[in-house]
Amino acid sequence: MIPVGPGVVATRVSFLLVLALTIQVGLAPEIPVLGVQGDLMLLIAIGGGLAAGPDRGAAVGFASGLAYDLFVQTPFGLSALTYALVAFLVGSLQDSVLRAAWWIPVATAGAGSVVGVILYFVFGTVVGVDFAGTSLPMVALVVGSLNAIAAPLLIRAVRWATGTQDSVRARSVYR
Amino acid sequence: MATTRRAGRSRLTLALLIFTSLAVLTLDFRDAGVVEGARRIAATVFSPLRGVARAVTEPFSNGWNGITDYGNLEAENDRLRERLEELEGSSVVEADATHQLQDLLEQLNIDWVGDIPRERARVISGPVSNFGHTIEIGKGSSSGIAEGMPVINGAGLVGRVVLVTSSSSTVQLITDPDFAVGVRVVPDGVTGTAKGNGRGEDLIVDTPLDAEAEVEAGVELTTSGEDRSNYPPSIPVATVRRTEEGSGGLTLDLIAEPNVDTDRLVFVSVLLRKAPR
Repeated sequence: MIPVGPGVVATRVSFLLVLALTIQVGLAPEIPVLGVQGDLMLLIAIGGGLAAGPDRGAAVGFASGLAYDLFVQTPFGLSALTYALVAFLVGSLQDSVLRAAWWIPVATAGAGSVVGVILYFVFGTVVGVDFAGTSLPMVALVVGSLNAIAAPLLIRAVRWATGTQDSVRARSVYR
Repeated sequence: MATTRRAGRSRLTLALLIFTSLAVLTLDFRDAGVVEGARRIAATVFSPLRGVARAVTEPFSNGWNGITDYGNLEAENDRLRERLEELEGSSVVEADATHQLQDLLEQLNIDWVGDIPRERARVISGPVSNFGHTIEIGKGSSSGIAEGMPVINGAGLVGRVVLVTSSSSTVQLITDPDFAVGVRVVPDGVTGTAKGNGRGEDLIVDTPLDAEAEVEAGVELTTSGEDRSNYPPSIPVATVRRTEEGSGGLTLDLIAEPNVDTDRLVFVSVLLRKAPR
């Protein structure tokens, strides 16, 4: 197995982020569920943590959040901060999650998404964002559910992008 | 030993990323042009991609919305039919009222009401996040659109332009909690400030009226167009539903339903008018 170089990883991650952003800003607003849209960028951050560990996962989460921040009118850097932290937390569970049953990463993605939405809300409130009229429990639950459904595919994609798809640990997940 | 070193490096990475995020947040709060510039470039680059994504997925999303929103569509259809019948009945009265209004406006020398140039644009995307209150429209600076311009549709005020690229613009909706507009209570001319209160929620209007004052439900609110306002006067904004005491207990707040349904926008018009300096 030829190891994937950092340049290739950066290119693949950039490609994945552009693709995910296009879907997130072009498609997700058109197909809401109960008025809530899935958060693909948060899922990429979580996938980064699961596939590449806390270190590189946090970097993927940061990049994912910063890219998303370019398209929302909330303070620039808020998503980057939240997603990097969520990716780090999920990445810290990486060993136990990746060696467990197939559904554990899926459940982790769902739970991580719920935590991500709540953290975003908390950090946003701290920096002065007014979330009036937003039902946090509804958003958190729907985002968690949608992201859990999309998790198997997205985690595979992030694993490919970060060059961890053929690691021993990764092979044990969706066997 | 190696595990401890790896954990230490991870924590260092996280600390650096958090520090960078905070630095970026600070830049944004200090209104550094670099953030606005980056957002403009990103919107410009992604505009065609979003257009393609929308074109490809439109049949699917229409089907999806038809399935998940069928009840609302039926109710909307009934409401529109009822409204059409009302309008047919009142068209003669309205024609006369329009004529009288035109006369009055000419006397008051407000010569720009009704002839402000408008640019019609299609809504190309709704809010791109669950916490967002902005939409994207398919026209930008090449059509004369600039930041701060009011956006309307047939029902009234939709919002204002907050970001412009050459071919698209971002519009902040009136339901955004950060949105505020000066309004006038139509029958008695009292002015106040209407603020957004979140998606699907009523606007809250601060007024100087005494807390004991009475304002009936159904009263219309229009933009006040006061000195140096971004918005010309007389744009319909909302209809009063009820009143409640203001936060200090001394004044009256109006709770008003926006005239525009911000969840169902297809076409909007941008008033090509810059705020007077």
